Amino acid sequence: MTWFTFPADNLLCWWISISITVWFTLLFAFIIVPAILGVSLGIRRLYMRTLLKIFEWATSRMEMGAKEKNQQLYKPYSSGIIAKEPPSSLQQGIQQLRGSASCLRSEPEFEMADIFYFCRRGVESIVDDEVTKCFSAQELESWNLLTRSDYNFRHISLRLTVLWGLGLLIRYGVLLPLRVTLAVTGISLLLVLTTLVGFLPNRELRFFLSEKVHLLCYRICVRALTAIITYHHRENKPKNGGICVANHTTPIDVIILANDGCYSMVGQVHGGLMGMIQRAMVKSSPHIWFERSEVKDRHLVAKRLGDHVADKTKQPILIFPEGTCINNTSVMMFKKGSFEIGCTVYPVAIKYDPRFGDAFWNSSKFGMVNYLLRMMSSWAIVCSVWYLPPMNREEGEDAVQFANRVKAAIAAQGGLVDLIWDGGLKRAKVKDAFKEEQQKLYSKVLVGEHEQADDKHLEDENPEEDKSHRDSANGQ
Amino acid sequence: MGASQTRSGKYQDLADKTGFSLEQIQNLYKRFQQLSGNEETISKENLDSIPALANNPIRKQIVDAFFDKRNQHQGEVGSFEEIGFEQFLMVMSHFRPPTLKTTEEEKEALRKEKLRFLFNMHDTDNDGTITLEEYRKVVEELLSKSGAIGQEAAKAIADAAMLEVASTNVPHMAPDDFYEGITFEHFEQILKGLEMESRMNIRFLDVDTTTMRCGKTTS
Repeated sequence: MTWFTFPADNLLCWWISISITVWFTLLFAFIIVPAILGVSLGIRRLYMRTLLKIFEWATSRMEMGAKEKNQQLYKPYSSGIIAKEPPSSLQQGIQQLRGSASCLRSEPEFEMADIFYFCRRGVESIVDDEVTKCFSAQELESWNLLTRSDYNFRHISLRLTVLWGLGLLIRYGVLLPLRVTLAVTGISLLLVLTTLVGFLPNRELRFFLSEKVHLLCYRICVRALTAIITYHHRENKPKNGGICVANHTTPIDVIILANDGCYSMVGQVHGGLMGMIQRAMVKSSPHIWFERSEVKDRHLVAKRLGDHVADKTKQPILIFPEGTCINNTSVMMFKKGSFEIGCTVYPVAIKYDPRFGDAFWNSSKFGMVNYLLRMMSSWAIVCSVWYLPPMNREEGEDAVQFANRVKAAIAAQGGLVDLIWDGGLKRAKVKDAFKEEQQKLYSKVLVGEHEQADDKHLEDENPEEDKSHRDSANGQ
Repeated sequence: MGASQTRSGKYQDLADKTGFSLEQIQNLYKRFQQLSGNEETISKENLDSIPALANNPIRKQIVDAFFDKRNQHQGEVGSFEEIGFEQFLMVMSHFRPPTLKTTEEEKEALRKEKLRFLFNMHDTDNDGTITLEEYRKVVEELLSKSGAIGQEAAKAIADAAMLEVASTNVPHMAPDDFYEGITFEHFEQILKGLEMESRMNIRFLDVDTTTMRCGKTTS
């Protein structure tokens, strides 16, 4: 029996070893060497075009199939659930309300009907508000063979289902192992090479080499995700002694930006693998890692950032002022800390193309590892990066206004919605101070009609309307 | 495909019961999913976490109204711990505007429903009357505890309003009579002139299906 199985075993071993060798050679030749040299062979763009063609074909098949069966194919795209009235101030709203009721008293005071206004506003916010929409993944209207929008996946034809199954097989069977291998290679190279470079005595040489090493490893990581990035306006790339701010969708943003230039990262010290990577990176170039306790001390943070930018030989700092991941449809409030330092700010807008994979990290839904696996089993990550012209704080502008100006520029460039809400609302509740504000406003509406002398600072919005209201009230 | 068919059958039931159109129900279902975090039911915490609602002075009353069994029109009293999509829709239906096809009686009925909704919001112990205490509580929520109107003034306003209702509805009250509270009929009487059809309506949109083609979207 043994002699019968032996050649089969031999054949199997031989076959496996040959395929592994071929696999690694291809990997090396097509991916690692170009990464080292910083050259792109154009394979990923070809891949992207092929994928697009397949998606178009699949979509047209689905449309034909749906037409035959007379069904609605596309998920209804709605820009809102309710028709909102044009935004009016609390005062106008209440006056409109009262104007329609027969006033029981000659002087308008508190009316029982006032509560209608707040009731309606409240229910409107329950039905449709700006913030909750930002923290769930964007809905896709077309079908990208990942069936993320599962409304659209139906059994239209055998061919499409087979295609979907094939897609699944390719993504999990071929692409995922390939990418995991690359990622592991990239990270281990980063660890090893940065540690080695850290040992060099000569400062100039160390800087030079560390730049090369970082770029190399980030390039490998980019290929590990099959990220196809288009950089626009590279002449505005951040320079030394400045701060680079960008909108935040996912931790991968860091890799995408660092692929094109060297930045100093800012962040909390982690444990485990992340901690190891952080310690290795710091050996060769100056990054700013905070202990957890220090993060709370804002002055310390500001001082360290200030010291870093003052040194013109150090790389620009990369900061995400939103503080949390948003789903890439809008930009939320920028925290003012980084804008108080008083140096040049280089805004960068990042926009992901949702057809190829959803890059948003919903940290309440997926952990980090789960998220990375999802990323590595999508088709590709296609994104555009725009480098915007540098901005400085102007005379008489405080940090908050400056932050809002930068935010508006980023939102405009990336085609995102500019929101005033704080990204921290993902986890925290709105402070009661907001409710107090509304209560105060309403109180002023009641009181302001009596005390005319105090009106000047109470009602700053519609002095004419007030007067006419008072006249009509007196006329009654 | 099978799943969406039974879903549309269920939606048809809901459409008949609440008066929303199928598209509106689908939209509201999407919103329900967002609020509940893809669960089957919503709890008070889910509604409390809406930032725009946090601005509202009477947010507690509004959230409670969603969980109030009286607003489900099934004759029950008390409150739910969590509500499902059907209950959510029932409460929303109080805010539907009348359409062109609504008859006069239906409009009257709608108006009465809206008034009932507001009455329930004030009458928290469900004894059929809004007592002075209950009314004071609502007024206090609306007004700031500091600033232009203090707590004493808020109480005075509530008292004055109650007195007004009493004098309008029971004009020949003897000086020793005690006014129990605002009943639903008195409530209706006071707000008789108010044109509520536009004040307590929210226009729920039907949807336009715009098709976005794969590969030709502007990104």
